[in-house]
Amino acid sequence: MTSRSNRLTSVLSDNRVGLLLLIIVLVVLIGSLKPMFFSPAFVIGPMLTSIAIFTVVGLAQMVVLSVGQMNLAVGGMAAIGAMGSAIVFQAFDVPLIVGIAVGLVVGGAVGALCGVLIAYAGVNSFVVTLAMSFALLGLVPAVYSWVSTGNAITVQTPGLAELGRSKLSDLCIGDTCGPDGVPLILFVAVAAMIVIGLLFSKARIGREILLTGSSDRAALLSAIPVPRRIITVHTLSGMLAALAGFMLGASTGSFTPGIGQEFMLQSFLGPILGGTLLAGGYVSVIGTFLGITITVVIRQGLLLFGVGIEGLNILLGTILLIALSADRIRSVAGARSRLRASRQQSPAKSKEEAVVS
Amino acid sequence: MTDTAYALEVRGITKTFPGVRALDEVNLRLKPGEVHALLGENGAGKSTLIKIITGIQPQDSGELIVNGEARSFRSAHEATRAGIGVVHQERNVITDFTVAENIVLGNTPVKGGRVQWREVREGAKRVLDLLDFPIDPATPTSLLSPAQTQLVEIARGLYTDSAVLLLDEPTASISETESKLLFDVVHRLSAQGRAILFVSHKLEEVFAHCDTVTVFRDGRSVAESEPLSNYSKDTIVDLLVGRTLAKLEVPDRSPSERGTPALELRDVSTFSGHRDVSFAVHPGQIVGIYGLVGAGRSELAKAILGLDRITEGEVLVNGSAAQIRSVGDALGRYGIGYVTEDRKAEGLFLDQTVARNLTVTVLKRLSNAFGFVRERAARATADEYIASLDVKVSNRDQLVGQLSGGNQQKVSLGKWLAANTDILIIDEPTVGIDVRTKGAFYQLIWALAEQGKAVLVISSDLAEMVTLVDRIVVMQDFEVTGSVLNSHEYDEMSKSVIRLIHEERIDVVEG
Repeated sequence: MTSRSNRLTSVLSDNRVGLLLLIIVLVVLIGSLKPMFFSPAFVIGPMLTSIAIFTVVGLAQMVVLSVGQMNLAVGGMAAIGAMGSAIVFQAFDVPLIVGIAVGLVVGGAVGALCGVLIAYAGVNSFVVTLAMSFALLGLVPAVYSWVSTGNAITVQTPGLAELGRSKLSDLCIGDTCGPDGVPLILFVAVAAMIVIGLLFSKARIGREILLTGSSDRAALLSAIPVPRRIITVHTLSGMLAALAGFMLGASTGSFTPGIGQEFMLQSFLGPILGGTLLAGGYVSVIGTFLGITITVVIRQGLLLFGVGIEGLNILLGTILLIALSADRIRSVAGARSRLRASRQQSPAKSKEEAVVS
Repeated sequence: MTDTAYALEVRGITKTFPGVRALDEVNLRLKPGEVHALLGENGAGKSTLIKIITGIQPQDSGELIVNGEARSFRSAHEATRAGIGVVHQERNVITDFTVAENIVLGNTPVKGGRVQWREVREGAKRVLDLLDFPIDPATPTSLLSPAQTQLVEIARGLYTDSAVLLLDEPTASISETESKLLFDVVHRLSAQGRAILFVSHKLEEVFAHCDTVTVFRDGRSVAESEPLSNYSKDTIVDLLVGRTLAKLEVPDRSPSERGTPALELRDVSTFSGHRDVSFAVHPGQIVGIYGLVGAGRSELAKAILGLDRITEGEVLVNGSAAQIRSVGDALGRYGIGYVTEDRKAEGLFLDQTVARNLTVTVLKRLSNAFGFVRERAARATADEYIASLDVKVSNRDQLVGQLSGGNQQKVSLGKWLAANTDILIIDEPTVGIDVRTKGAFYQLIWALAEQGKAVLVISSDLAEMVTLVDRIVVMQDFEVTGSVLNSHEYDEMSKSVIRLIHEERIDVVEG
């Protein structure tokens, strides 16, 4: 094989390319059957808002998957973070940015607590975050009913509605306005993707996190501060979940205990469809975005065809199951193709690998 | 015509993997009652042949004749039933199971769908007694050291009571005394008329215990079932590497033991059971810790690194007391590096690239003020150690899991060379690697000492100790029983060391 065709196969076997092609095919297909699908105000706009929120939720899960753990409390952390923002907006009338910061701190603190329990008490992440999600399920509504009357807080802070509900078409420089259907909140998600992307691809801490995910024992014996990195990812996960909760609240204008209820399934779907390994050691930010996008496109498409929410959940659950099987198939196939590739590059050495295989 | 004089005969077996011929018409004849050595460097095809004989992989062509009958096994189970027992090189025990359960694994006695636990216990006890391995069969395997685990593996090979027993590097990670026990069993089994095929990198063992030899090089048999008495160690090494290898130049070393030691343990007792352990390593000196399995050697290294609690006594680095709580502390505050004995589980990130593995200990140094990794510097560091250690890779972004054992060991060591610590603890430096690479490792360790680094080597290979180190500290039962200056004379040293293991604490200081 020539190096060019090698490169081509490696691009095509990258599942992110497959996802992108699948998204294009789906959009064209649904759009040609239901032209309504391309309506900026009724479909594209809300869909991009959902993609923005769920991408941040997906990142919240992805950062924990990177060390081979999971966060079953993303929904609860989103709820309590959003609640923190809402309370300071309502009670102290703080500016927008301060409210967001408070929400992130609250979410991050809850995440850090989980991280400490996992890293130092040695309890499994599954157990800790499951317990945390139950605690939050009780705590959040209790606080809401204590601080507000209608079990929801409506926030009027200047800027919030603009951030949550305006589109690029509302922003004009002179006579040129942005395209209709692109919500401003999408850029919050893009900013989160850039930060997390830089963390994992360029920063030392990100490198240490991925090595911890690859083998925590080897990481510990290579002078990587493993407990600290486990706390780092859980804190980060809590902050990202809180950010997603805030985004959801901002997009509707009302902060309720129901925020985050449908986050958990989505949080796994995005990263796993996008190629992040459940076992840890490898993540993909773009993949998470594409994975979320495809689920949201399918959801919107089916809604247009009149499929109910129950049908949707069955479908999304099925997709998750298939994605998990694909995760396994991909890792086996990937190992095989890498082995083949390295054999071709160096026949002398490959005997050893053949023996291993 | 088939000849029934052989318990096992391999005739012209060829095995090709995509792009490479792993075995090229190899022959081997194994007689009942003989101990037959199968030698070859890493990648010469020994393990592939064993996998074919035991039904794990099929051959492309050629015949396998067992007791005069041409056979081809489709599964490991079929091979076991045909009387072929095997001890594999890789440790294959299930750590959630007990010792007994692991020993009977794959051959569990079942009657009417129910496991016969009494038979399991008694069968396991029988082979453990045979090995003189004093352990309760009900012990969970997770509590065993790597060497004890290896003994369980050997016990499993003996359990099936096979006419042909294949031993694939069974002594790679066990100590001299345990090896002796194993060879006692091997000789007993061969005296009963069983045929033993023994794969090893340790030529001393081979010459001490084997009758016949087959040598593989690059997938071909360059010596086929010949009497071992026709060869000397030198001629075997020539056959193995295919050219006359320059004999290992052992440098004349006599480093000073005066002045402040780089690393010193004073009456150290630990939570895991060490009592009053004291020794010192001076700058430029190589000290070896030798002891039997369960003597607490690797555990001591882990205690120095803060992975076990030191209950009494103190660790001194450059003369002042050190508080080491983690490997990060050891590296960052005291300049101590640790190369583990278990490179696959503890030393390497197998699914990460060679470059990432080599730079893991120096990420801080390779990062800028904002905490971003300086990629160019990281690549340069990786390339530097790939070149200086002669790691065979297609490029620095190859995954470490794809490398051969010797090259993996180089990466595992290389990441600590990159850290450039003044004190380096190396646990089993050459486990499972071939003659040529071993020599390169020794040269490297001597060079480190020449640079003034203090090196602590832990090994269960006495020949390695005698070649490599300046002073041998002997441990037994989590205590230091004495230490001797190394004279580099194998017979003399092995006598002193064995005496230290078996007698009560005496300080034998010579020279």
